[in-house]
Amino acid sequence: MLTLWTRVVQAAFIFLTTESIVPPEKPKNLNCIVNEEKNMMCQWDPGRKTYLETNYTLKSEWATEKFADCKAQRDTPNSCTLDYSPVYFVNIEVWVEAENALGNITSDHINFDPIDKVKPNPPHNLSVRSSEELSSILKLAWINPSIKSFLRLKYSIQYRTKDASTWSQIPPEDTSSTRSSFTVQDLKPFTEYVFRIRCMKEDGKGFWSDWSEEASGITYEARPSKEPSFWYKIDPSHTHGYRPVKLIWKTLPPFEANGKILDYEVTLTRWKSHFQNYRVNDTKLTVNLTNDRYIATLTARNLVGRSDASVLTIPACDFRAAHPVMDLKAFPKDNKLWVEWTAPTESVNKYILEWCVLSDKSPCIPDWQQEDGTVHLTYLRGNLMESKCYLITVTPVYADGPGSPESVRAYLKQAAPSKGPTVRTKKVGKNEAVLEWDQLPVDVQNGFIRNYTILYKTAFGNETAVNVDSSHTEYTLSSLTSDTLYMVRMAAYTDEGGMYGPDFTFTTPKFAQGEIEAIVVPVCLAFLLTTLLGVLFCFNKRDLIKKHIWPNVPDPSKSHIAQWSPHTPLRHNFNSKDQMYSDGNFTDVSVVEIEVNDKKPFPEDLKSMDLFKKEKNSTEGHSSGIGGSSCMSSSRPSISSGDENESGQNTLSTVQYSTVVHSGYRHQVPPVQVFSRSESTQPLLDSEERPEDLQLVDNVDSGDGVLPRQQYFKQNCSQHETSQDISHFERPKQVSSVNEEDFVRLKQQQISDHISQSCGSEQMKMFQEISTAAVFGPGTEGEVERFETVEMEAAIDEGMPKSYLPQTVRQGGYVPQ
Amino acid sequence: MSSCPSRDPDSSDPRPQARLVGKGEQEGPPSQLIPPLPQVSRFQAGILSLLLVLHWELGAGSPTPDKVSCVMDHPCSSNLMTQVKNQLEQLNSSANPLFVAYYMAQGEPLPKYVDRLCGEDFMSFPPFHANGAEKDKLMELYRVMAYFYLFLDDVMQCQKTLNPNDQKLHSKLDSTADTVWGLLSNVLCRLCDNYNVRLTDMINGLNTSEEDVFQKKRLGCQLLFKYKQVIAELAQAF
Repeated sequence: MLTLWTRVVQAAFIFLTTESIVPPEKPKNLNCIVNEEKNMMCQWDPGRKTYLETNYTLKSEWATEKFADCKAQRDTPNSCTLDYSPVYFVNIEVWVEAENALGNITSDHINFDPIDKVKPNPPHNLSVRSSEELSSILKLAWINPSIKSFLRLKYSIQYRTKDASTWSQIPPEDTSSTRSSFTVQDLKPFTEYVFRIRCMKEDGKGFWSDWSEEASGITYEARPSKEPSFWYKIDPSHTHGYRPVKLIWKTLPPFEANGKILDYEVTLTRWKSHFQNYRVNDTKLTVNLTNDRYIATLTARNLVGRSDASVLTIPACDFRAAHPVMDLKAFPKDNKLWVEWTAPTESVNKYILEWCVLSDKSPCIPDWQQEDGTVHLTYLRGNLMESKCYLITVTPVYADGPGSPESVRAYLKQAAPSKGPTVRTKKVGKNEAVLEWDQLPVDVQNGFIRNYTILYKTAFGNETAVNVDSSHTEYTLSSLTSDTLYMVRMAAYTDEGGMYGPDFTFTTPKFAQGEIEAIVVPVCLAFLLTTLLGVLFCFNKRDLIKKHIWPNVPDPSKSHIAQWSPHTPLRHNFNSKDQMYSDGNFTDVSVVEIEVNDKKPFPEDLKSMDLFKKEKNSTEGHSSGIGGSSCMSSSRPSISSGDENESGQNTLSTVQYSTVVHSGYRHQVPPVQVFSRSESTQPLLDSEERPEDLQLVDNVDSGDGVLPRQQYFKQNCSQHETSQDISHFERPKQVSSVNEEDFVRLKQQQISDHISQSCGSEQMKMFQEISTAAVFGPGTEGEVERFETVEMEAAIDEGMPKSYLPQTVRQGGYVPQ
Repeated sequence: MSSCPSRDPDSSDPRPQARLVGKGEQEGPPSQLIPPLPQVSRFQAGILSLLLVLHWELGAGSPTPDKVSCVMDHPCSSNLMTQVKNQLEQLNSSANPLFVAYYMAQGEPLPKYVDRLCGEDFMSFPPFHANGAEKDKLMELYRVMAYFYLFLDDVMQCQKTLNPNDQKLHSKLDSTADTVWGLLSNVLCRLCDNYNVRLTDMINGLNTSEEDVFQKKRLGCQLLFKYKQVIAELAQAF
C-alpha cells in the first residue's frame, strides 16, 4: 500500500514539474519611458512562469549603431532600465529576448524616437502673485525643465482653495503651448489658493511630468459680497416701558466677507428721524428699546468697502406673530440634518432656523442660521452630534416682523438607547401582573423610541416577548400562573436598535385578592355562631354545669348557726355591703361545701388546702372554724397541729362550722376578722335562704349592751393596723393557740381603740371584749409569751395575706359534715 | 606641460561606443568604413589629420570607390529631416550655455577676457553652404559635426582631468556630444537611405597634445565659441 502511494506521489511530481518547466513565452506589450536627463526604462509582460532560470535582455540599436544590452534583474524580469538618457530625435529600435534552458524567444520590435517617450522633469520654482487691481486673479510663474529649450511643451495647471480637497483644472486649451507664466482668473476674493503644474510634450506624445511642488497665494480683498445674518432676542422681563433687545448676527464666511471684517455698523430707527448708530466689533449688541416698532440694519465693513445692509424689523410690543411655516420636517441625509418646510402664502423675507440639543441635564442653548425667503430646504450648518435630540425651530420673518415659530425634533444619527427602561410591577394578581415603567430620559434615548419589548418567563419556561407601543408606560401581563416566579426584562427600541433594562422578578400570589377573605370570613362566622350556641347552651344548662363544676357552698355567715350558738355574736347582714364593706373589702369569699356523709377525707380538697397552706398562714390564722370559735371555751379542737387529725376527726364528727374569710381591699388587710361561730351540729346549707337570721343580726347589732363580747367586727381603717394583725398571725412556728390570738386581739383592740378615734364615723367597729383571764385561760399551756407591739409590727411587714381561701380544717380544724 | 588622456574605448563611459558604419562594414573592405570616432578622437601635436571616408553612391555625382550599395540595419525614420532640424535646434539651444559653462569653469582670466581670449577667429570648421542642395548640405553638415565631435571629445577628456568635479559642465559636454552623435547618425542614415552615399573623407583635427593647460583651456573655449556660431548657422539652414 505504501509503495503504491509513493508511486502516485512521484507520478504527480513528475507530471507537475513537466507541466511547469517551459520555454519562455514571447514577451508582450513592450513599452519604454524616457525620464529626462536620467534614463530610459522599458517594461514588458514576460508571459507565463517558466520555473527555470530565464534571462530577459533588452536590446536596442539605431539604424547605424547597436547599443549595449540591458539585462533585466531576476526579481524584475519584466523591466530594464538603461542608465543613460537616450539621444533624442534619433529613432531607436528596442526589443526583448527571453532565453532559458529550453529555448529563447524575441518580442516584437518597437521603433521610436525617444523624444516621443519622454517624461519631462516637472516645472520648478512655481510662484503665485496676487493683483491689487483685481481681487479675482492670481499670477503664476515657473521655470520650465531644460528640455523646453528644444521641445515644445504644454501644461496642466490645477488649483484649489486651501481647505478644499479636490482640485480644479485650468482649461487645457489655455495651457497648450510653451510658457513660463499664467494668470488664473475668476477666483474668489481674499481666498487662499494652492496651485500645482506639470508639463509634457506639446503634441501629447510622451508622458506628463510629475507635479511640481505646490505653491499658494491669496487673492486681494473685495467688499463683502453678502449681508450678515441678522436676528434678535427680546428679554421678556422688560421694565418701565423698555425692553432689552439682544441683536445678534453671524460672522460672514470668508467667501462672503471677501476680506478681514473690521467692524459692524448697526443702525436702529424708531421713527424716520430717530437714528441710533452703533459700531461693534463683536457679533451681538444689547440695547434697551421702547415698546415701539424698530427697524434695525446691519452692515459689515472690510478694507475695501461695506456689505449690503441686513434689515430686521423689531415689532412693537403688542405685535401678534402669525403665519407659521407648514409641513415642517427634519431628516438626516448625507451626514447632515436637513430641514424642509412649506412656505406660508405670505411673502417671506427670510427664515430663521434655531436648534438646540434637548437634554435633561443641560439647558437648551440654541444655535441659529438664516436662510433666504426663497429657501424651503436647507441643512443645519453647525457642529451637530450624533445620537442627540435636536429641537429645531423655523421662524418666518416678514416685513412687519417675525411670524409664528414651528418646531420639530430630529436626530442627525440615531443609535440604540444607552440604557433600557426599568420595569416594575404596579399590581400583581393571581393570573396577571400590571407592569409599569418610566419613559427613558432623552439623554439616553439616542433616538426616537419606536416600541418596547417585554420579555418574561418563568424559571423553567420559555421566554415570551410582547411588543408595546412607545406611547405606553404600562402593560398588563395576563394568563400568568399563580404562585410562580416570573422574570421580566424590557427593551426600548429606536430605529437603530434596542437596549435592555435590568431584569426584574416578581411572584404571582397563590390566591387572588379577596379569596382568603372569602374563606376566612365564613369560617369565623361559623366559629362565632358555634361559640354563641355553646354559650347559650351553657347558659341554659348553667345549673347542671354549676353542679358539676362549681357546686354551691353555703355561706356560713348566713346560716342559722348563730342562732344555734348559745353565744351568738351580733349578726351582720352581710348582704348589706353598704353598711359593712362599703369600700368592697370583701374580695374573695370561698365556700367549700363538704358532704357530711362522705366519710372519706377529700384528698383533692385537702391537697389544695396544703398548697395554700403556706401562702395562707395568715388565713389559717384568721380563719377559724366555728369550732375554733367554740374553742374559746375549748381551744384544743380549734388549734391543732397537722398531726392531730384524729382529734380533728373527732371534732368533725360533732361540729359544723362556717368560716367567713375576707381580705383587704387592694392588698389591705382588714384589721378585724369576722367570725361566725356555730357550735351547732345542724347543717348550714339553709343559712343562705334564711334572711331573717340576718335581720336578727342587725337587730342585735343595734343593741350595744346586748352584744356578746366574744366576737367583733372592725372595718379596716389603716393598713398599719391591718398589718399588725396579719403579721401576728403569720409568724412562723408560733405556738398557735387561741389564747395567744385572743391576747393579740386584745392588744389590737387597744391599739384600734386608739386609732379608731381617728377613723371617724365611717369606721365601723364591732368589738368583742374578751377578758384577759379568758384569753389566758386554763386551755393554754401556761406559757405566756411576752408580746411587744413593735415586734408585731415588724412581723406584719414581712407577710401580708391577700386572700382567704375556704378553710378545710386539717390541723385540728373543722371538717364540715 | 601635460597632455589630456585619450578616451579608452573600454572605459566606463556610458555613451554608446559610437561608430558610424553602414551595412557594408561587415562585408565591405576597410576603405568603406568610417573609423570609430572616439578611438581616433584625440589631440595630437599640431594638426591631426583624420580620415573620413565619404562613400558616394549612385546619383551622388561621383562614383563610389567600390560600387558597394549603402544599406542600413533599419529603415530611416520617416521624419528624419525633422529630427535633424530638431537636433540642430537642440544643439543650438545648448551651445551658448555650454560655452558659458565652459569658460566659467576654467577660471580667470578666461571669464574676464572671454571675448578676447576665445573670440578670435582662428578656429575654422569645415565649410558649409546653406543654400546648397539637401544632399550637399547633409554632406557638409556631416563634416562639420564630425569635426566638432572629434574636437569636443578631446575637450571632454581634458576637462575630466582639469575640472573633475564640475559635473554640470561634464553633463553638458556629454549631452552635446551625444546629440552630435545622434545627428551624425541621422545624417548618415539620410545620405545612405536617400542618396546611397557612404562617406570616406579624411578630416583633419587639432593636435593639442603639446599645448600647456591654459592653451588647452583656451582652445576648448575657442572651439565652443566657434561652435556656437556655426551651430546657429546650421540650425538656421535646415
